[in-house]
Amino acid sequence: MPLIQLQDVSKLYGFGDATTLALDEVNLTIDKGEFVAVMGPSGCGKSTLLNLIGLLDKPSHGQYRLNDKLVSRLNSNQAAKIRRDKIGFIFQFFNLLPKLSALENVALPLTYKGVTQTKRLKIASEMLDRVGVQDREYYLPGQLSGGQLQCVAIARALVNNPQIIIADEPTGNLDSGSSRLVMELLSEIHKMGNTIIFVTHNPELTRFATRVVYMHDGSIVHDESSTVGRVANRARKVLYTLPATKEEDDLAGVSLLMKALPIKSSISDRLSPKYLTKNNIKRRSKRKALGKQAK
Amino acid sequence: MIGVKLISSFRAGMQVVKSAKLRSLSLMLGIIIGVASVITVIAISTGIKAQISSQIRSYGPDIITIRPTSVGLGSGLVRGSDLANFSISNPMILKDIKTVSQATGVAEVAPLTLVSGPVKSSSGVYKPGFVVGTSSSLPNLINQSLAFGNFFTSSPANNGNVAVLGQTAAQDLFNENVPLGSSFTFHGQNFVVAGIFNSFNATPLSREANFNNAIFIPNSTAESLTNDTAPTYEIFARAKQVNQTSIVAKNIAAALDTEHGGVSNLSVSTGNQNIAQNNNILNLLTGLIAGVAAVSLLVAGIGIMNVMLVSVSERVREIGIRKAVGATNQQIRSQFMAEAAFISLIGGILGLALAFIIDMAIRASTYLTPIITWQSVVLATGVSLIIGIVFGTIPATRAASKDPIEALRTE
Repeated sequence: MPLIQLQDVSKLYGFGDATTLALDEVNLTIDKGEFVAVMGPSGCGKSTLLNLIGLLDKPSHGQYRLNDKLVSRLNSNQAAKIRRDKIGFIFQFFNLLPKLSALENVALPLTYKGVTQTKRLKIASEMLDRVGVQDREYYLPGQLSGGQLQCVAIARALVNNPQIIIADEPTGNLDSGSSRLVMELLSEIHKMGNTIIFVTHNPELTRFATRVVYMHDGSIVHDESSTVGRVANRARKVLYTLPATKEEDDLAGVSLLMKALPIKSSISDRLSPKYLTKNNIKRRSKRKALGKQAK
Repeated sequence: MIGVKLISSFRAGMQVVKSAKLRSLSLMLGIIIGVASVITVIAISTGIKAQISSQIRSYGPDIITIRPTSVGLGSGLVRGSDLANFSISNPMILKDIKTVSQATGVAEVAPLTLVSGPVKSSSGVYKPGFVVGTSSSLPNLINQSLAFGNFFTSSPANNGNVAVLGQTAAQDLFNENVPLGSSFTFHGQNFVVAGIFNSFNATPLSREANFNNAIFIPNSTAESLTNDTAPTYEIFARAKQVNQTSIVAKNIAAALDTEHGGVSNLSVSTGNQNIAQNNNILNLLTGLIAGVAAVSLLVAGIGIMNVMLVSVSERVREIGIRKAVGATNQQIRSQFMAEAAFISLIGGILGLALAFIIDMAIRASTYLTPIITWQSVVLATGVSLIIGIVFGTIPATRAASKDPIEALRTE
């Protein structure tokens, strides 16, 4: 029995002329214990997909089954309870409450479960110990480093012992050292049986995943299982065979992955002056020169 | 379970107060002032009511008072030095006293007749004092006992130029506590002090028209000194049977009407009526002032709503985070409600404390003794709590209805 089952799920934002299709009839099945990396360019619908799976959002069309239970049409309170008990969120910008200490932040989900304060803080303290920042219990988020913040956020996600951990670019705001720390923490959690779904732009991080899903324009364009410890095939292509993004690509929001994906160039692309690159002109002149020699 | 939730909401409220002290204080200020003023107004009026009715009760609820309906100066507020100007437009005369005493069912009667003129003793003229002609029934009628000596009786032998003094008068006139047998001059005649009253209850609004300053002489003497022109400003009477008081009061009124040819401008009232009348007027006044103060509470409530709305829009991201980790709409709503209720409850309690301080200040600096009843304490805390809840509802509902994704997206 699959844990997560999306059937023809679409998500539309706005209405009328301003409608945008964030997800386009996505079908995705995730089993218990999978460690799924979701990759794709900015604006391709990764976050929307994660929000849907995490019950923060509802699909416009299609069905979403969690544990074989149809949850796409739950009311907000029922969804909140499932979020509380079964799903843990980790965000790129940590999303810790700045006025609560690390310990209180971790204990927050338990508050909504009705656990008493003493018990709450005890469990939270154990969680902080597990992620290795117990000595920072009484620090406010403003006093912690990025890596420590993300560890606290992971502790918060874990505190309710959820089945699913959803991480939206958990390392997007961290240096490479902290990124590794966070990913190793996640893979440890994965080994204990949790299902983890995370979004990343860094192909290196697919080493930790058992499965990589590539998205483009609201659809899943590629889905491959990957061996833990190795960079996924498609992601490796991005890493090693393509030139790095140029400055103008960054400005236009074009990612490496966008360049790696097989997209047919449109007619307008062919007609653009960019298409007639220096190389083509050189080649043509070479051919001419060869022809002259032959004569 | 509910207890745990309540405590945790309360803790959350406390956290907010701690994290935004100045804002919370300015929020509370409205509630503090409102609660303090409502409680103070009610306390002052309760105090006055208690003072007046204790005075009326000390005379006894079965006492019937007859007064002219129009008096030149309010009889309760007369200063001793003003007595020369004291005028009663329609004073009662000797005949009225007789009529009252002869009305059906009347047991005893004591008039209060003012006799003007200087009182001289060996130590000089006693200015704040005033001379009152009355009958032997007075001590019995107004439940007033003598400290020393005896009150004059109705027998003529004991009923000539004798006087009974209030305590202050005795002290000021002769510079001694028990000047029994001492004498003073009034209207050219010598009066001998026969007795001294115990201290009278002070009137609430003035110490000047105090019977402690008064010199009581027999009414017959007073009338003969002034050739029956001394004005009688009040007559006390008592019914033979206590339960007949109101009937006897009607009899007296009827007799007076007959005597004055059908039109009497004298009012006849019983002790209970007086209490009721006083209370009615005071309640009306209290209601008016407390109403104005209550408007300030309303304004404070609107202030709370305003600031809570701002607070909600400032904390959208926090709401998003709380929802993401599993807070239901109700939990978010009750959190914000608890914050508003907590702030206004604390404001109410501080206002209560302020009211107690004002109460003490009033007691220290005036003759009023405001009484803060437990009812007004409960009312104040309850009202401030309700204000918090009522005016916290709209901001809290708005917070609860935020979409988690959009909330998380806002900076």
